[in-house]
Amino acid sequence: MDYLARNYLRSRKIPSTACSGCGLGQCHKAMVQAIHELGYKVEDIIWATSIGCAGRQTYATWKGDSFAGTHGRVYAIARGLRVVLPPEKRIVMTVGDGDAFGIGFNHLLHCARTNCDMTIMVCDNLGYQSTGGQYGWTTPPGVVTDSSPYGMFEPNWVQKDQDVLMILKAAGATFLARHVSTDGRAMVETVKKALQNRGFSLIHVIYPCTTNFANTALGSREPAKIYRWIKDHAAPLGQEKPDTLWSTGIYYDASNSRPEFSQVVREKVAEIQRRYANEGTH
Amino acid sequence: MAGCRAFFAYPITPATEIAEAMSRLLPRVGGIYLQAEDETAAMHMCIGAALGGYKAMTATSGPGYILYADPYGWAIGCEIPLVVLNSQRVGPVSGITGAPGQGEFYLSRYPTQGGNFETIVLAPNSAQEAFQLTVEAFYLSERFRTPVTILADQLITDGWEDISIPETDEEKAAMGLRFMERKVHPGPDFYPPTDEIDLPPVVVGKGKNVLCSDWTPTEEGFDIETVEAQHKHAYRLIYKIRNHKDLIMRYDTLFLDDDPELIVVAYGTPSRVVKTAVKKAREKGQKVGMIRPISLWPFPDELFTNKAIYFSVELNYDGQMVREVQRAAPKGSEIHFFGKCGELPTVAELHEMFDKLLNGEPLTRKGWEWEAW
Repeated sequence: MDYLARNYLRSRKIPSTACSGCGLGQCHKAMVQAIHELGYKVEDIIWATSIGCAGRQTYATWKGDSFAGTHGRVYAIARGLRVVLPPEKRIVMTVGDGDAFGIGFNHLLHCARTNCDMTIMVCDNLGYQSTGGQYGWTTPPGVVTDSSPYGMFEPNWVQKDQDVLMILKAAGATFLARHVSTDGRAMVETVKKALQNRGFSLIHVIYPCTTNFANTALGSREPAKIYRWIKDHAAPLGQEKPDTLWSTGIYYDASNSRPEFSQVVREKVAEIQRRYANEGTH
Repeated sequence: MAGCRAFFAYPITPATEIAEAMSRLLPRVGGIYLQAEDETAAMHMCIGAALGGYKAMTATSGPGYILYADPYGWAIGCEIPLVVLNSQRVGPVSGITGAPGQGEFYLSRYPTQGGNFETIVLAPNSAQEAFQLTVEAFYLSERFRTPVTILADQLITDGWEDISIPETDEEKAAMGLRFMERKVHPGPDFYPPTDEIDLPPVVVGKGKNVLCSDWTPTEEGFDIETVEAQHKHAYRLIYKIRNHKDLIMRYDTLFLDDDPELIVVAYGTPSRVVKTAVKKAREKGQKVGMIRPISLWPFPDELFTNKAIYFSVELNYDGQMVREVQRAAPKGSEIHFFGKCGELPTVAELHEMFDKLLNGEPLTRKGWEWEAW
């Protein structure tokens, strides 16, 4: 166990139950590393997760408070929690692509609308992998999955001019970024920036599924192949090549520029309470 | 009064008045009212606030109650105290929005999927009782660590009636109101495999290293996929309620102690008409009694000891509570059903049916509408 795991994670959850070679650990570690470097303590963070690979494998790993919502609903739970939680407590979420951009997208948009303080890492393995490998909302065009046997022909949400991060920006998010899980230090620096925004922050991270996605998309479960494939199709923003699928880096940073939701709620309630302090509630 | 300081809801007729009142009242006492993007979110936000240590509530009608299925299950599994009000209207689906129905009798027993749980459901028949049962619902939800449904109907939430609100502790006690403060579970064994009640719920942000999720939990809350752990979890969710049913049971009965020939069963607003009809039938000399379950779930089987003609009067045409009556009634009893929907039965039509049932005549006036069981 390394020092991060020893200090922040529950030993019962180590080693992870993720498949051998899974890239989720890179996402998870980047988040813990960023938390560590910012000096947060275990009790400062409430760690929320969802369902699927990203949710299940990261649930109950954090030594402090940890909860997992049903599929797609953790954003609504977190928004209800955020407005009653002391402001110094932070909500960190590791969720999947199906959870955030599919079943839970409406709830996610309303968290963005209200600029609700939470740092969400969408750990994207390019489809529904824990259910056996069906296509999702970010599965690249043409890719074969168990439910797109003739190749993915639906538009997806990382295509040019219909990027899910732009929807979230328009909805009110104040920090948005994209990485691939092999980005290492650059990703940790991005997550640190995201955590320093008192508002809605989301980092979209593509990570390799060596079991299902790799098998149907690339015809091989050899980890090196899928890691290389993802790396080859990623490029920093502004340095894209014709076959780049994922531009990496910070897409939008309006950190701490707009009122944060729970603060707005607290102030409003306090103001109304003061106004009616000397009257009954009837 | 019950300590509710968070209310999240999605506007729906006929429950909007509750949301509007809460939006006005809650901030004045430091509470939070927010409108959610849908009912699923509304109840999930209640869960979030409850996880943060607040007493939370939501209110809806049938089409929203069905959307609570997902958070209801999470709250049952993670043992989150919450209060849910369902003002029943006429269904299925959107049906008639501004009229009373009783279509969610069974849905309130099985508000989510998966089985392996009991639910607590209270059914008021007046504004006054809705007030008192809401306080009671908060009390029971804390003691049992579970969501409690108040199963009302459109006439209660849209109707206007004077109510009496107690102010002193003596007045509260005289009204039978019970209260319980939110406590915080110290951990680490958040989910013991026992039937005990009065365990504090999980609260995050208090340094208790809370674990809670939708998966079958170990006693500490880790996700686990073993039949043994699931068995322990299910035992707790079922028997913490079944084994303390006496704390939940509430009912109203009339003329049961002189061996009535006919016992009319009704809950919610129809029970008010039934009560009048039963009293007047008694004046005419008919041996008629009445059972009004106030706690609907767990169903009060204990009240059905008389061998009699049972007659369930409900605001639905398909006959829901009558199935429980049939199950609970002693052998040799006769079971009948009368359903209306969108409007209450009248005393006159109930009397006509009492006469028929007491004379052994079938209730076949309109075929599909009148069904003998």
